[in-house]
Amino acid sequence: MKKAGEFVVPGTELGFSEEFIPGRGTYEEDGKIFASLTGVLRINMKDRRIEVVPHTTVPEPRAGDIAVCRVVDVKQQFALVKLLRLVHTKRELPGNVYGTIHISQLRPNYVQDIDREIKAGDIVLAKVTNTRRIPIALSTVDRPLGAIKAYCTSCNLPLNLEGSRLVCPNCGRHETRKYSSNYGKGMI
Amino acid sequence: MKAGEPEEFIVDGRRLDGRKVDELRPLKIEAGVLKRADGSAYVEWGGNKVLAACYGPKEIHPRHEANPKRAVLRTYYSMAPFSVYERKRPGPDRRSMEISKVTRQALESVVFTHLYPMTAIDVFIEILQAQAGTRCAGITAASVALADAGIPMRDLVPACAAGKVGGHIVLDLFDIEDNYGEADLPVAIVPRTGEVCLMQMDGNLTQEEFEQAFELAVKGCMQVYEKQKEALKKAYEKRGEEQ
Repeated sequence: MKKAGEFVVPGTELGFSEEFIPGRGTYEEDGKIFASLTGVLRINMKDRRIEVVPHTTVPEPRAGDIAVCRVVDVKQQFALVKLLRLVHTKRELPGNVYGTIHISQLRPNYVQDIDREIKAGDIVLAKVTNTRRIPIALSTVDRPLGAIKAYCTSCNLPLNLEGSRLVCPNCGRHETRKYSSNYGKGMI
Repeated sequence: MKAGEPEEFIVDGRRLDGRKVDELRPLKIEAGVLKRADGSAYVEWGGNKVLAACYGPKEIHPRHEANPKRAVLRTYYSMAPFSVYERKRPGPDRRSMEISKVTRQALESVVFTHLYPMTAIDVFIEILQAQAGTRCAGITAASVALADAGIPMRDLVPACAAGKVGGHIVLDLFDIEDNYGEADLPVAIVPRTGEVCLMQMDGNLTQEEFEQAFELAVKGCMQVYEKQKEALKKAYEKRGEEQ
C-alpha cells in the first residue's frame, strides 16, 4: 500500500474501495483502487479522497479557466461554442468539448437581442463558469473577454476595429459585438 | 544448415553474445525525450533503438472514423531505412502494418479510451536501429510514452520475447538467434493482472517448450516493467525541476 507523497505509475495499487473515494487519476476495479496516471499520491483524509497529481495530463476545462472558443450556433437564449484551447496550455483539448454562453452572461448589462452581441463563426475568449453540466457554461462578461475575431455578415471577411466600431474592410458595413479589449491583436 | 548459421548457439552455458539463457539484453528506457510530442519515450534494448511519441486525445480526422463511444487509438510502427543491414524501403509494408495492428490491440486493452469519445490518440513508433525483438521494444516504448503523456491507463504494458535456439529455450533473442533459431515467441502482458495482450509465435515449439518459453517471457516482461517504472519516475522528477 502506498503512502501520501509517494510516486505512482498506472496500475499501482493505492488502497481499498472501502477506505477511500477514488479521485482524479485513479480507477476502481474488484474493490480496489489503482492509479491511472503517473504522479505523486495525494490523500485528503478529511473527505477520504485519494488522487494522483501528475505533471502532464490531458487538459480539462475547470471553472475559472479562460478558453478560446468558436461560436457554432446562436439561439435566442444562448450561444453554443466549441472550446478550441485553454489559454496558457500548450496542449490541445480533446476534440469535442462544447459549451454555452447564456444571454445573461454575454455582457455586464441587459441584452435585448443576442444577435447584436455574438454571431456564429466568431472566435471568442470566454471564462469557464461551470463544468458540472454538459455543455459547460461560459461567460464573456469581463472586459478582456468577448470576440477576438468576428466576421462580416454579408462578406464573411474579418471585421476591423475602428474606434469602438467593427467595420468590414470590403463593404464598409458596421457591426456590433461584445468584443474583447484585445480584439484583432492576436493577443490571448 | 543456412549460410552464416553458427554451429553452436550456446557454449558453456553462455550464448553467442555472452548472455545466460534467461538474461535480457541491456535495457535502457528514457521518458519525455521529445519536446513537441505530448508524451514520448526512447528505448535502447541491446542493439535496438526505438523512439515512441504520442499525441492526443485530439479531434479525429477524417471525422467519419470517430467512435461516439470511445477514443480511437492509432498506432504507426515504422522502421527507418537505416535500421537494418540492407536499406529498408521506407514506408508502410505488410510487416509494419501487422505490427502496428498488434501493438494497437495490446495498448487498447489498457488505455481508458471510453473517457474520450469522438477523439483520436496517435502513437508513433520509429525503429531507428533493429536487432530483433523490435515489436516488443516498440510496445514497451509506446506504453511509457502514453503514461508520460498522462493518458489514463489501467497499467503499463511491458513486452519481451522468448524462443528456442539450438534446442534451448532462451529469453530475449537477438538477431542471429532470431534468424537461425527454431522459434520466437513475443509476449506482452498487463503486469498487475497477468493478462496477456500480445502473443505471437514464429517457428515451432512443443507444448512443454511453449509453456517453458511463455513463463520465461513473462519473467522478462516483469524485468522490463521495473525499468519502465524507473524511467517514468525519472521523467516525473525532471519535469518537477523544470516547472
